[in-house]
Amino acid sequence: MLMEEMPEGDCLVISLMEQRLDAVIAASFRETLVDRIDRGCRNLVLDLAQVGFMDSSGLGALVFVLKHLVHKGGRLHICGVTPGVMAVLKLTRMDRVLKTFDTRQAAVAA
Amino acid sequence: MVSRIKVGASPDRQSLRSAVDYHLEVTLAKHTHNATPEDYHLALALAIREPVIRAMNATEERVLKAGAKKIHYLSMEFLIGRLLANNLRNLGLYDTCAEVAADMGVNLADVLESESDPALGNGGLGRLAACFLDSLASLSYPGYGYGINYQFGLFRQTFLNGFQREQPDNWAVHGTPWHVERRDQSSMIPLYGRVEGDLDDSGQYNPHWMDWNSLIGVPADIPVVGYGGRCVNFLRLYTARAPAEFDMAIFNEGDYLRAMERQVAVETVSKVLYPSDSAEAGRELRFIQEYFFVACAMRDIFRRHGVAGHRIDDFGQFNAIQLNDTHPALAVVELMRTLIDEHAVSWNQAWEITQQSMAYTNHTLLPEALERWSATLFGRVLPRHLEIVYEINRRFLGEVALRHPGDAARLQRMSIVQEQPHKEIRMAHLAIVGSHSVNGVAEMHSELVKSQLVPDFYELWPERFNNKTNGVTPRRWLLNCNHRLATLISAELGTGWIADLNQLARLEPLAADPAFRRAFRDIKLQNKADLAQRVRTVTGVSIDPNTMFDVQIKRIHEYKRQLLNALHIIHLYCRLSEDGTALPCPKTFIFSGKAAPGYVLAKLIIKLINNIARVINSDSRVNRSLRVVFYPDYKVSVAELIVPAADLSEQISTAGYEASGTGNMKLAMNGALTIGTLDGANVEIARDVGAENIYIFGLTAEQVVERRLAGDAARQVYETNPDVKRVLTRLTDGTFSAEDRDLFAPIVRALLDQGDHYMHLSDFADYAQKHQRAMLDYCDVEKWSARAIINVARSAHFSSDRTIHEYAADIWDLKQVI
Repeated sequence: MLMEEMPEGDCLVISLMEQRLDAVIAASFRETLVDRIDRGCRNLVLDLAQVGFMDSSGLGALVFVLKHLVHKGGRLHICGVTPGVMAVLKLTRMDRVLKTFDTRQAAVAA
Repeated sequence: MVSRIKVGASPDRQSLRSAVDYHLEVTLAKHTHNATPEDYHLALALAIREPVIRAMNATEERVLKAGAKKIHYLSMEFLIGRLLANNLRNLGLYDTCAEVAADMGVNLADVLESESDPALGNGGLGRLAACFLDSLASLSYPGYGYGINYQFGLFRQTFLNGFQREQPDNWAVHGTPWHVERRDQSSMIPLYGRVEGDLDDSGQYNPHWMDWNSLIGVPADIPVVGYGGRCVNFLRLYTARAPAEFDMAIFNEGDYLRAMERQVAVETVSKVLYPSDSAEAGRELRFIQEYFFVACAMRDIFRRHGVAGHRIDDFGQFNAIQLNDTHPALAVVELMRTLIDEHAVSWNQAWEITQQSMAYTNHTLLPEALERWSATLFGRVLPRHLEIVYEINRRFLGEVALRHPGDAARLQRMSIVQEQPHKEIRMAHLAIVGSHSVNGVAEMHSELVKSQLVPDFYELWPERFNNKTNGVTPRRWLLNCNHRLATLISAELGTGWIADLNQLARLEPLAADPAFRRAFRDIKLQNKADLAQRVRTVTGVSIDPNTMFDVQIKRIHEYKRQLLNALHIIHLYCRLSEDGTALPCPKTFIFSGKAAPGYVLAKLIIKLINNIARVINSDSRVNRSLRVVFYPDYKVSVAELIVPAADLSEQISTAGYEASGTGNMKLAMNGALTIGTLDGANVEIARDVGAENIYIFGLTAEQVVERRLAGDAARQVYETNPDVKRVLTRLTDGTFSAEDRDLFAPIVRALLDQGDHYMHLSDFADYAQKHQRAMLDYCDVEKWSARAIINVARSAHFSSDRTIHEYAADIWDLKQVI
């Protein structure tokens, strides 16, 4: 699984450099982000600009990360949501729970 | 280089020839010396495809520009039949094409015969949908079909020792030139999973549908060419594919195999059409099929709504959705889910939009035939949808309770959720509650829907209930399949009747013209000769076109009473062979139709008919006066052969059972007289053609009910009618089952010991008497021809053009886009 990490201000920006967030990478995706949270990350910005497709496993991993982060008092912002990913968020009404932003800057600034 | 073929203008023989040559040589890599009729068919179809696609694109542009409201016809079945000949006629290119074929040294008839029927339906319901699409396009309404692209259509029927055998029908195995695949418009469809609820920012319940499996619906369009060729709509059929094919990481061999199993399971969804009357009730795959195509359709309808620049609030204003039976009833829930979950529309507004859009057509009066799905299955496959169904039901029952406080029995009867004996979702109730219109398909049927099937709903919402008598397209069912008659009519009336069947009324005075009657008779004889030739080729049986062709062509079912017909044939055989009584005129009985694979008694009836045929056809005492044929593998192309050749049309269902029928209309439109019960659309046919031009017999629907209550009527008939007794004795004395005398005992048991539920014996005497009358009348050839012409002249009401105009005006609020 390809990922880039960049601290920006008090956020950690993680860009997922994969076209699909699906059953193949969902477990390692979740493990990696949980690890960052357990190591102290509380403001996480997830950049999904490269992700064109997300299945229920990918969404499940995302939801798990969100809950884990919120439980620790943190916040998750998502940016670069492609139409394919947004369709899944809308299907599952997760768009009303996950905070999404049009740009990375807006996600970080918020 | 492909020459352009202009549509709508004068036929261009040279460019058509060039295009055919091109496709034969380049697309198919064939030469004239090694090209088969299938190759010529493909080359011709591909040559025509270009102008058809252009017209389809132009039609879509016009509709978009007009910002027009659209009708989306949702059906699990579309029995479209062969397309090339129909498209050529509608494009006005048939004669040109025949000339091109002749130039190439090819018989066009052979080429057309090589096209396989897409068997994407079981019978009347699917064929109705196809006729409707033809009329929508021919009348320039923006109307589109949505369904499933079954790889295997209705099974192919063969006979082994007179028994039906079913074989897979891989109709598109050689490819079809008419599919226009639209991969870019694929949809992801979720199934299974669970709902996890929490609260959103405003404290409202926020359900999340999680952990679903998904499949992809890939659409392919079949152009629907309207008469005249200007308006070409489309039928969008979906194929199920796994979300990622070989584009998956393979961890180890175990995972690979599981992944492949899953892919196979997913693609099963669009693999096979369920034959009706089978035990699909409760079958999960069938439920998934229903949701799959509904979900694909709704996504596409939303997409096109957006492309047209409309707002979500206006969805109901711009989209009419017709549910062909309850099979697409999940569309009610899917539309609600999409509006509420994906577009954040409030419940009340979503419900208003849903009811504004949806309309439901009922096709059956049998309560047991109304679809119900186990709530357990429903919730396992579509957990979020089940929540919505429960909420719809809660609000609906609240409305009912307000109107009828304290009436718990009414709530139980009307509830979308049946609690006892098993918790099931009543799809007809869901369809009615979610629609602004509920229609039956013939006057009598629509009245019975109100009075017997769902009277509580009629009492609550009388304004929703209406009738839309079925119809058939005069293009396929007269212009195309009976071109000789169509040419004769056009010679007298011009060609305006093809798009306005009311003009056929001008034929009526010609019934008194001996020259016209003779020409009409000659055409019928030629059609019968064609059929006889084909029957000989296919079955080996010789039939004489100079006999009365008496046809019963439809699905095999007890309520349609092929058995009554068979019993009467045995009666005629006994009269001839035992009594020495001659028939007033020689007769050929022609059957065709399929029985559902699991329907044991229907398959036994087929065996009985085949055995009767074998005995009679080889009995030299009778076989100049009487012949019987069961033409195998009934489908649209077989109907197109038989309908023009029929003299007498058997429409003999037990009264109160056939919602409408459409075979009755096709046959009358082609000059067959009907022998039938007062059932379905027979009532309206009888009213239009006149009592003197039809043979009505048997118990009415009310009398059937009374007779059942009165006791063992069948046994009484058996004891008091010696003809009936003789016929039933022949069923078990080996006359028609030398190999096994008990073979047809189950039929006799059904008639005598199990109450003869469908009233064969009660109607037998009147049926036989009307047949006798018809045979006597047939001997007066001039009078018979006159009556046949009157049947044609008075069949205008049964055009699907009339039906579609009524739907458009009364239900869809739809305008033509010229």
